[in-house]
Amino acid sequence: MVDEEEQKEYRWETGYEKTWEAIKEDDDGFLEASVADIIQRAKRKRQAQKQGNSKLGMMRHLYVILDCSDSMSSQDLKPTRLLCTVKIMENFIEEFFDQNPISQMGIIIMHNKRAEKISDLAGNARKHIKAINNLKQTSLIGEPSLQNSLEMALRALKLLPSHASREILVVMGSLTTCDPGDINTTILNLKSEGVRCSVIGLAAEVHVCRRLANETGGLYNVILDDCHFKDLLYQQVDPPPAALTLESNLIKMGFPHQMSVEGTEEPLTMCMCHVDSTDEGSKLNTGGYYCPQCYSKYCELPVECRACGLTLVSAPHLARSYHHLFPAANYDEITYENQTVICFACQKNFSETDKQVYRCPNCTKIFCINCDIFVHDILHTCPGCATNLSTFQIAHNTTQ
Amino acid sequence: MRVNVKGLEVLFPYDYIYPEQYRYMVELKLNLDASQHCLLEMPSGTGKTATILSLFVAYQRANPNTGKLIYCSRTVPEIEKALAELKKLLAYYDKENEKLVSFLGIGLSSRRKLCIHPEVSVSGDGATVDSNCRKLTASWVRAAAEKSSHVPLCNFYEDFERIGKQSPMPSGVYTLEDIKNFGRDHGYCPYFLARYNMAFANVIIYSYHYLLDPKISELVSKELAKESVVVFDEAHNIDNVCIESLSVDISKKTLENSLRSLSKLTEKLSRIKSQDADRLRNEYMRLLEGLKEANINRATDIHMANPVLPDQVLEEAVPGNIRQAEHFIAFLRRFVEYLKTKLDAVERIESHNPKSFLLYLRTEVYIERKPLRFCSERLGSLLRTLELANLDDFTSLGLVTMFATLVGTYDSGFSLIIEPYDDRTPTIRNPILHFSCMDASIAIKPIFDRFRSVVVTSGTLSPLSMYPKILKFKCGSMRSFPMTLSRQSILPMIVTKGDDQLAVSSKFDERADIGVIRNYGLLLIELCKVVPDGIVCFFVSYYYMESIVASWSEHGLLQQILRYKLVFIETQDRAETSLALENYQLACKNGRGAVLFSVARGKVSEGVDFHHECGRAVIMFGIPYVYTENRILRARLDYLRHEFFIEENDFLTFDAMRHAAQCVGRVLRSKTDYGIMIFADKRYSRMDKREKLPLWMQEHLKRNTNLATQDVVNASKVFLRDMAQPFTLVAKKTCQKSLAWDCDSIRRGSVADPECGALAVTRQSSRGRSIS
Repeated sequence: MVDEEEQKEYRWETGYEKTWEAIKEDDDGFLEASVADIIQRAKRKRQAQKQGNSKLGMMRHLYVILDCSDSMSSQDLKPTRLLCTVKIMENFIEEFFDQNPISQMGIIIMHNKRAEKISDLAGNARKHIKAINNLKQTSLIGEPSLQNSLEMALRALKLLPSHASREILVVMGSLTTCDPGDINTTILNLKSEGVRCSVIGLAAEVHVCRRLANETGGLYNVILDDCHFKDLLYQQVDPPPAALTLESNLIKMGFPHQMSVEGTEEPLTMCMCHVDSTDEGSKLNTGGYYCPQCYSKYCELPVECRACGLTLVSAPHLARSYHHLFPAANYDEITYENQTVICFACQKNFSETDKQVYRCPNCTKIFCINCDIFVHDILHTCPGCATNLSTFQIAHNTTQ
Repeated sequence: MRVNVKGLEVLFPYDYIYPEQYRYMVELKLNLDASQHCLLEMPSGTGKTATILSLFVAYQRANPNTGKLIYCSRTVPEIEKALAELKKLLAYYDKENEKLVSFLGIGLSSRRKLCIHPEVSVSGDGATVDSNCRKLTASWVRAAAEKSSHVPLCNFYEDFERIGKQSPMPSGVYTLEDIKNFGRDHGYCPYFLARYNMAFANVIIYSYHYLLDPKISELVSKELAKESVVVFDEAHNIDNVCIESLSVDISKKTLENSLRSLSKLTEKLSRIKSQDADRLRNEYMRLLEGLKEANINRATDIHMANPVLPDQVLEEAVPGNIRQAEHFIAFLRRFVEYLKTKLDAVERIESHNPKSFLLYLRTEVYIERKPLRFCSERLGSLLRTLELANLDDFTSLGLVTMFATLVGTYDSGFSLIIEPYDDRTPTIRNPILHFSCMDASIAIKPIFDRFRSVVVTSGTLSPLSMYPKILKFKCGSMRSFPMTLSRQSILPMIVTKGDDQLAVSSKFDERADIGVIRNYGLLLIELCKVVPDGIVCFFVSYYYMESIVASWSEHGLLQQILRYKLVFIETQDRAETSLALENYQLACKNGRGAVLFSVARGKVSEGVDFHHECGRAVIMFGIPYVYTENRILRARLDYLRHEFFIEENDFLTFDAMRHAAQCVGRVLRSKTDYGIMIFADKRYSRMDKREKLPLWMQEHLKRNTNLATQDVVNASKVFLRDMAQPFTLVAKKTCQKSLAWDCDSIRRGSVADPECGALAVTRQSSRGRSIS
């Protein structure tokens, strides 16, 4: 979850900013309003960019390509670029699977002009986090090769069915890429295969990255500091609009059930997820999810059945993915002129300091800024609309 | 949008106008009103061309008796860009339903660029195309073709002569490609079509040389109307162009070629004498009458003056001793032989002024001054009479006669230096005679005298006050317009020392210091680590570049650079350089990153733009002072001191700083672009150097005037991160509100320029309906 309230790190750790230049006195010579204004604007910025009403690629297949070259040892992010990236990446992976439960992710690192896959496409956050954590020990050597790693990701993404959205996210610390061939042909291939490539640069704008992102319809951003880095990375959590080439398909999914016969203990079995994994080992246990097609047991959902290939999900997972399709309407910012005494959601009393309040366009209830952000980032349902049947339907009809 | 510039309604083909563009227009309008010359500096990438063109077209519309606009630029791509800009403007006039009565805009380039003849156009370099064309189109060739049908002619030219001249070209703007297509469609020769239609055009866009080089200007530009306005764009080097156009270098080879041409002439002459003696007699009579016609033309202001055709020549008849063709050839032969012995005999460097040289000529070979003066004109007449089409055989002889005329005409402003060997190869004897012009005003004087307004403009003209002095003209106004930027998109910095606090400089006695070389190398390595894509480095000379790069390679610094970027080097070989440049750009584009080592005053520093990824940073290692031991330069400096009272040091600094500014200015080519500019020499931090930088660079210099390597790296990091942030729509809108004025805000009077007062603008929608 994007914790907007989380404190930025200590003042002396951030870059040298002339914050005082951004602050202007208001008419009465007070500064407070100006400061509050800056904070508010930053908070609302991201959600204002969200738009409903578009077809989204919900079954995401994302390859994260991490730069592990020499340049990642630079200390402009604390403690080093790599450690900072790993830390932020961990949270990102969790957040990603939380928001996109039926999606899959894989991780590739690039170092010493080679690409190396450290975890395959899979829907399991824990595995990826473990792989990422292991990176802390890798030695950072040589230059990265963007082309090699893109090719590696493309080979895996190519095989996916046509309804799946294919994405690549590159985190690039280096300003150079050492490629064996012409990277432009790779970019064209990615484009024709409909792979959306986004790049986050850690140092400065590199032309080829800009080109890669522009050609394939992704985003290219360069970080300012670690907070900005986090923001940029978390942008990737929301599913992108579906590419035009993406087909709409009906997908066969299985909803596993538990095999419990009343009165009897469940038999001890091994789960398929761990049956051949060496490091964790499979244990006999009761409970688990059984594929409705072939009765293989899994201890975690969502997962693709190893035996019959069925995608296994639980109903709440699908429901969670739903909010991307039916987002709560963006609230309008209005100046506070005693429209109402309290925030509809948290019942807080509005006071002098609240210059702006927020109104839902459907139910016209008034909210404070914190509730506005909470509703759009976490709840995904407007409490005003949800408590009123008629407006609830409006909300859903308009967004469909 | 429509802008009101001091009472003149100007249609500007963009939705927004930058304040500096508006100020530029006001300044230009005032100067046009007053018919005076002016000197205007505005950074590249601010839409100078569009500003000039739109103001002029509007001005011409309001004052129909204004002459043409003669817009001179430096290179063909720049000419093409200006033409495209003009085309856009005309399209906008159409869209706004403002009728321009028969407007013609034409670009002119060489035959090589414009020829559409299937054989001639593929024949290679410029000179060959020219001579092949002449073989098909010269008047006597055509006369011969009338008699016999076997003589090949150029059909395009014939059709143009027969039909094309009668009907004027439909109004519009013709880019070089357009005029070629027009020629193809109608079967006319595009080159002659363009030249012929210059007389009717409202705007002519071509290269400097068509106006400044006396040989070409005689052919192309001498009939341009007096009321015209001349614009020299990218004119920061205009004095050198002027000087080059009047300087002659004569080597042994030139003389050999001349002698060969003379033999050829003799041969041809004797043949003609036996067949067609009348022709020679006619010529003789014509010469006897003198060049009266030309004199009348010039006196009545039909033709522009030509520095190679001095007034005395026009007033008098050709002197008797060269009136006969044989005598003239013998005279020339004597002159060439004299030069040859002079070159052969030279042991040490000799330096003369024209007067002393003439004295030698008279005492040693009895050549008087007067006939020398007529040489150039006399040769032209002879070549015409002998009907020689193959003029490139006579280029060497042409040079010699031009030298003869110049030396006979000008007492001062020129210097004559004979060197026994080249500076670069002091062991190989290769005598050469430099007859060099030292006074830029000689070549450009006819232009200032003739045309009502001459506008000298460029992105880097600072310090402005120098130009009126060295070009000797009365300048109505001098202005430098700073650029308004929506973000700080340039980061100029002056590096004075390395991290070890050792000062860096390219000063002659310090440049070999290993500490300085190492600090320069470390500066580059550190920058390679933080700057993406392309970095361009400029050195003060080829020699210095070679020695410093060799030293870097020896100490392993070059290998470190290679880890981050590929390295490319400009050499004196043109083909090699363009190959290096091509691959440099490729490396920048595909993400490998590259460093280009090049030389200030070289080809790269003058003509190549490093926009966006091709140049994120420019480093100027040292101050590019011109090589002061050069004798030609010494002579010029002396001359400047005596004639113009310009101190040697002032001129050298001026020259060095304009080149430095020109080099680093290559990095920023538009408002969306950004780049780091680094001046690496402790001497830059001195006020006398710094204040000679263009105003728009000084503005951003702020306190970055005395930095060490590490400071530069830190500043660059922050700058690059900031610049990489999206230039979003929101940001654009807010910046345009404050920086660029749209029509509404100008009309409301909400923007008031402190200098120009509030603006009043009328605006109509494209449909002609007025919005109030």
